[in-house]
Amino acid sequence: MGAEQAWLLAAVPAGMFVVLALFGRLLPRKGDFLGVLAIGTAFVLFFFVLHDFLHVGESNWPVVRDIKWSDIGSFHLRMGIVVDQITIVMFAVITTVALMVNVFSIGYMKGEPRYWWFFAVLQLFAASMLMLVMADNLLLLYISWELVGVCSFLLIGFYWEKRSATEAAKKAFITTRVGDVGLLIGIILLYKATGTFNIREIIDHAKSGDIGSTYLFVSMCFVFLGAMGKSAQVPFHVWLPDAMEGPTPVSALIHAATMVVAGVYLTARMLPVFEVAHGTTLIITIVGLVTALLTGFMALAQTDIKKVLAYSTVGQLGFMFVALGCGRPDAAMFHLMTHAFFKALLFLGSGSVILGTHHNQEMGKLGGLWKKMPVTGTTFLVGSLALAGVVPLAGFWSKDEILAATQTWSGGWVTILLGFAAIMTAFYSTRLFIRTFLGKPLDQQVYDHTHESPAVMTLPLVFLAILAAVAGLVVFNGVGRALGFPGGITEFVFLEEPERYHIVWSLAGGSVVLAVVGIFFGAWMYWGGSLVRSTRAAEFQPRLYEMIQRKFYFDELYQGMIDRVVLGFSFVVSWFDRYVVNDTGVDGSAQMTGYSGFLLKHLQTGKVPNYAMGIALGVVALAAAGLVVRG
Amino acid sequence: MVPLDNYLVLSAIIFSIGVYGVLARRSAVLILMSVELMLNAVSLNFVAFAAYLDPNRVAGAIFAIFVITVAAAEVGLALAIVIRLFRNRATANVDEAASLKW
Repeated sequence: MGAEQAWLLAAVPAGMFVVLALFGRLLPRKGDFLGVLAIGTAFVLFFFVLHDFLHVGESNWPVVRDIKWSDIGSFHLRMGIVVDQITIVMFAVITTVALMVNVFSIGYMKGEPRYWWFFAVLQLFAASMLMLVMADNLLLLYISWELVGVCSFLLIGFYWEKRSATEAAKKAFITTRVGDVGLLIGIILLYKATGTFNIREIIDHAKSGDIGSTYLFVSMCFVFLGAMGKSAQVPFHVWLPDAMEGPTPVSALIHAATMVVAGVYLTARMLPVFEVAHGTTLIITIVGLVTALLTGFMALAQTDIKKVLAYSTVGQLGFMFVALGCGRPDAAMFHLMTHAFFKALLFLGSGSVILGTHHNQEMGKLGGLWKKMPVTGTTFLVGSLALAGVVPLAGFWSKDEILAATQTWSGGWVTILLGFAAIMTAFYSTRLFIRTFLGKPLDQQVYDHTHESPAVMTLPLVFLAILAAVAGLVVFNGVGRALGFPGGITEFVFLEEPERYHIVWSLAGGSVVLAVVGIFFGAWMYWGGSLVRSTRAAEFQPRLYEMIQRKFYFDELYQGMIDRVVLGFSFVVSWFDRYVVNDTGVDGSAQMTGYSGFLLKHLQTGKVPNYAMGIALGVVALAAAGLVVRG
Repeated sequence: MVPLDNYLVLSAIIFSIGVYGVLARRSAVLILMSVELMLNAVSLNFVAFAAYLDPNRVAGAIFAIFVITVAAAEVGLALAIVIRLFRNRATANVDEAASLKW
C-alpha cells in the first residue's frame, strides 16, 4: 500500500455510498457504522499514503496513476491522479473532519427520518471531495467539483419537508452554478489554447508564454469565477448562510471545512498560471479582501449562531484568497487546515448546543449554557479563541502568516484592511461565545431543559479541540521534522521556492494586539449577558446598523434583479412560447391539416365514374407532361 | 401485308371506344365490357408489334395470352361483385352505389 493506491481513499467511501444507498435502510442501525467504517478506512489509508509520500522523496509532479480514457483521432483523454503536498494537506483535512463529522452525526441525527440516506450522501461527498483534490487534470476535477455540488444540494435540502430548506438548496445550487459555468468556460478556453486538460502541462504552457496574455487573463478570470462560486466569495456569498438550513454536521463538513475550500484549493493548484496571467492575483486579493471585510460586518449583527459561523466561514475563506493573491499558497493552505479544524469544531459545537437546547439556535434564547454543557462550552471556547487568533492556538499562526504575506503589496493597505477584518473576527467570535455560554439565561424554559450531549458527540469535539489548539504548531520546522516532514508546513507546501518559516515579531505582536482588541471590545459590550451597550451601539447609527443587519441588501438586490430582469425576460419568452410556438406553430399546423381535410373531402364523391374520369385525366396529364419534358 | 399503322389506328379506336364506355356508361356490366374493349386494344397492339418487329420472337403473343387470362379472372371477380350489388340494391347502376364517401 503506497501512494499509487491513493485512489482507494475515494473508492472506499464511493463503494460504501452504493451499499448504503441501496441497502442502508435494511441494515442494523441503518448502516451508520458502515459509514464511519468507510471514512475511518480512508483516514487510516491516508497515513499509509503520507508515509509513502514522505519516503519517496522530492518530485515535482508525482503523478502516481495515469489511465487512458479515450483515444478518438487526435483527441487523447487521460485521467490521472496526483499526490503532492497540497493534496496531502487536503487529504489530512478531509479525512479527519469527515471522520469526526460521521461519528458526531450518529448522535446528532439519531431518530431522524432518512438516517441511512444521510450517511450514504456523506460517503459520496467524501469520495468526490477526495477525488477532487487528487485529480491531475481539469476534467476529472470538474466532474468531482459537480459531484460535490450535488452532495451539497442533497444535504442542504435534507429536510425537504421544510420549504426554507428546499429554497436554500436551490439557492446554493443555482448560485454556485453561475460560477461553475465560468469554470467550465475557463477549462474549455485553456484546452483550446494548450490542447490538454492536464494541470501540469497547462502550467508549463502558460509559463513558456505560448498563450496570449489577454487570452490567458480572460480564461483565468473564468476559472476564478468557479472558485468564487464554490468558496462563496462576494458577490456569490449569499448561498452559504442560507445553506445552514441543512443538518448541522453537514454545515460543519461541507459548508465550513471541506467543500467551500474547493475554490481555495483550485486557486492554489492553478496559482502558477494565475501568477503568469497578469492582473489576476490583484483580482484575487481584492475579492478576498472585500469578502473578509463585508462578511465581517455581516457577522456582527446576526443572532442565529449558525449564521454567525457561516459569515465567519466566508470571511476566513476571504483571508485564504488574500494569501493566494499574495502568491503564498503555503499560507493559504495552512489557514485552510487550521480553519477546517476550528470551524468544524465550532459548527459541531453549535450542533451540540442546538441538540442540547432542543433546536434553539437564536442567541436571544440562549445564554449561560456553560454550566449545563461543560464539555461543549469548553471546546467551543477553544474554537472561538482559535478563530479570534489568540496565541498559541491554531488560528493565530495561520492568520499571522497571511498578514505577513500581505506585505508583498506595497502601501500596506491590504495589511491594514485585513487587520481590521481580523479585529472583527475576534469581536464576533467573542460575542458568539459570551451570548451563548456566559451570562444569564435569556429564556429560562429553554435553559431548564438543556442537557449535555452524549459522548458520541462530545468525543469528536474534544478531538477537534485538541487539533484546533495544536495544529498551528506545525508551522515550525522543528515540529514538522519531528512529525517526519522535511520542515514546517510553509516549507512543505510551497511549490516553487521553499521558504523557511521565521516569525516576524512585530507582526506577531501586532496580530496578538488585533485579537486582544477584538476580544476586549466584544467582552466589554456583551459581558454578563447585558445587551444595554450593544443596543446603544446599534442605536448610535440606526441606518448603518440596519444596513449591516440586512446584509448590505445583497439578497434584496438579487431578488430585485431576478424580479425585473429574469422574470421580465421570462415573460417575453413565455409569451413567445404561448402565442408563437404553441398557438401558431403547433396548434396552427394541426388546424391547417383539419381545415384542408374539410375542404378536400368533397372530392370523394363515392361515384365510380368520377374516379374513372380522374384516372383518365391523370393519364392524359402525365402523357402531356411526358411529351413536354421530352420535347 | 397490312401495314402496322392500320393495326395501331384500329387499336387506338377500340381503346378510345373503351374509355368512352367506361366514362359514359352507368351500368356496371357495360363498364366491364368497355374495360374488356380497352384490354383487347392493348392485346392487339402487342400482337401487331410482335409480328412486325420479329416474327420469330413470340413474347408479344405470350403477353396477349396473359392479358386474356388476367381479363377473364378480372371479369369473373367483377361480375361477382356486380351480382352482389344487384342482390342488395336491385340495380346495377354505379351512380346509385355511392355510399362509400365522406
